[in-house]
Amino acid sequence: MSEAAFEPRRLHPATLLARWLKILPQMLFAGIGLAAAGRGQGLGEGGGRLLILALVMLVLGGVFAFIYWWRFRYTLGPAEIVIEKGLFQRQRRVIPFDRVQDIAIEQRLLARLFGTAKVRIETGGAAKDEGNLDMIALADAHALRDFIRHGARPATAEAPAAPAQEPVLFAMDLPRLLYSGLFGFSLIFLAAISAAVQQLDQIGIVEWEDWFTTERADQAAHLVTLRLALGLAALVIMLGVIAGVARTVARDFGFRLTRSEAGLRRKRGLFTLSEVVIPIRRTQVALIESGLVTRALGWHRLSFQTLGADKKEGGVQVAAPFARMDEILPILAEAGFPAPPPRAAFRSRPRRALVRRIAPHLMLGLPLTAAAFLFDWRAGIGAAALAMLALAAVLRWRIHGHAEDARALYVTGGLLRRRLRVLPYEKIQTISVSRGPVQRRLRLATLIADTAGASAMQSVQIIDLDATQADAEADRLYAAFIEARGRIRVRASHG
Amino acid sequence: MQPDEIKDESSGLTLLHPSQIRVLRIRIGLVAAALTLAAFALDIGPLRETILPQFALPGAFLLLGLLATLLYPPRRYRGWGYREGEDEIEIRRGRWLRVRTIVPFGRVQHIDVAQGPIQRPFGLATLILHTAGTHGASVPLPGLLHGEAEVMRDRIRAKIRQDLV
Repeated sequence: MSEAAFEPRRLHPATLLARWLKILPQMLFAGIGLAAAGRGQGLGEGGGRLLILALVMLVLGGVFAFIYWWRFRYTLGPAEIVIEKGLFQRQRRVIPFDRVQDIAIEQRLLARLFGTAKVRIETGGAAKDEGNLDMIALADAHALRDFIRHGARPATAEAPAAPAQEPVLFAMDLPRLLYSGLFGFSLIFLAAISAAVQQLDQIGIVEWEDWFTTERADQAAHLVTLRLALGLAALVIMLGVIAGVARTVARDFGFRLTRSEAGLRRKRGLFTLSEVVIPIRRTQVALIESGLVTRALGWHRLSFQTLGADKKEGGVQVAAPFARMDEILPILAEAGFPAPPPRAAFRSRPRRALVRRIAPHLMLGLPLTAAAFLFDWRAGIGAAALAMLALAAVLRWRIHGHAEDARALYVTGGLLRRRLRVLPYEKIQTISVSRGPVQRRLRLATLIADTAGASAMQSVQIIDLDATQADAEADRLYAAFIEARGRIRVRASHG
Repeated sequence: MQPDEIKDESSGLTLLHPSQIRVLRIRIGLVAAALTLAAFALDIGPLRETILPQFALPGAFLLLGLLATLLYPPRRYRGWGYREGEDEIEIRRGRWLRVRTIVPFGRVQHIDVAQGPIQRPFGLATLILHTAGTHGASVPLPGLLHGEAEVMRDRIRAKIRQDLV
């Protein structure tokens, strides 16, 4: 970066348009709502007034966008970046480079038209929007990232390798992308439709009550036939598949995972192009997942739980969304994770753990079954549901298992969607053994190996181990942790 | 190590300071008193016209509260214990859900010594170890003498290595 690096800078002027377009829908909705409320009658009369109000909102939106752009400034220092913004409520944020965990570059459709990008600087803190530069020129974004990564040293001497030259670890061609989309069945469009209707209802354009009257419902009831219902179901399924493919293509188009200097560089996206570097030092746990059908066909998804990763994705970054096991293993190795052992190496829970899993369902289910025979057959539906739950619990018990070798702990779990977690010993934060009252009766315990960057739901835990074994395992994990850390420290001091 | 530390013979863990029982008793007593008062207010207020005999509800709360205040603190106290090792501390806690946690000193991000208003008259404090983890990100150890907690904090701080790998 040149001398100008230490001058305060503004965002790219295209930000004005982007901000304006972003504010616009809210402003318009607010305006229409205001007009509708003011007249109490909805749209019937006074179309001209509405137009004027809309125009006012358009202009106001432009003013807000300008103020945002005008007050937003960022300054690069030798060791930190300073971001200042706000008109009344002024904010000045200093982010030291050595606190930066992750720098993501994202290009939305509009940004791509202008050759700009949004830069997100993550520091691993709890606050979101920690350091967002939305948007600056794409070239500036790359320069900024290299500058933060490599400090103030001149970038010209040893320019970082261009992404094209980096070894490719994983990429998806179009046929595989489309194929993977088939398994991304999604009913999100139903939610979108209902949200849109609700929105329209709220601002008074459509009245729910007018639409769904009892007369209409009666008329409609005559029209509903088995054929129509089946047709509708088929339509919904078809739309679901199409929506799944569309979503997958939009997200994972041109997926490329390359080995960069700092970690694994992931590029993807059709409309919104995103580029993220998963720093290898920050990876905590490797997660290999597959659904019921995809597993049968031999496809898996690999992701890494990382420290200070994107909060939107819950601290988990996808490294390969749809891959064969023999494609996943080299990526794991590249990230410093060992390959999981074969299924036979996994040990299961003691059989008495089933008592804890099934007993609640049986205790409710047996009286319900009796009630079904004695009083009302409908109680049988509840009993059947509980039987299903008990069966699911047994299956979960069968699937849940753990294995260990010299380098890592491996835990499998899930039911339809199965998860395999790989936790290298040196990544462990704390080790806990917990036992509830029922577990104590059954001499069982749950072992939890806490890691950084996970949500509580995603932690690595082995549920319902034999209690003595759990305590021994905790001590063994701790010893393995100390040994692994020792290895790293020795390597660091020699290196 | 202090000479007056109490060890649990069976597990070899150090128990908390005995005054912790009184701290727990006051804490539970206050909660019980508040609940009893609330029940009393309900009894003379909205629930006056119901079939419930007068003073039955606050009486029940009072009885349960007294029992809990008398019986629960010693049991709860016995659930706690710790062992400070060379590179780690092991903390056991809980009576109902019993949890044993090993915290390696190398993983401690920062340490707090906290003292609540009930702890203060007894000279007790809580040592809180914060890690970068999520499930057990902060591990508390209550019922230490304030001075002892500060010594422990300094001892642990000296062993913290700030390498996040």
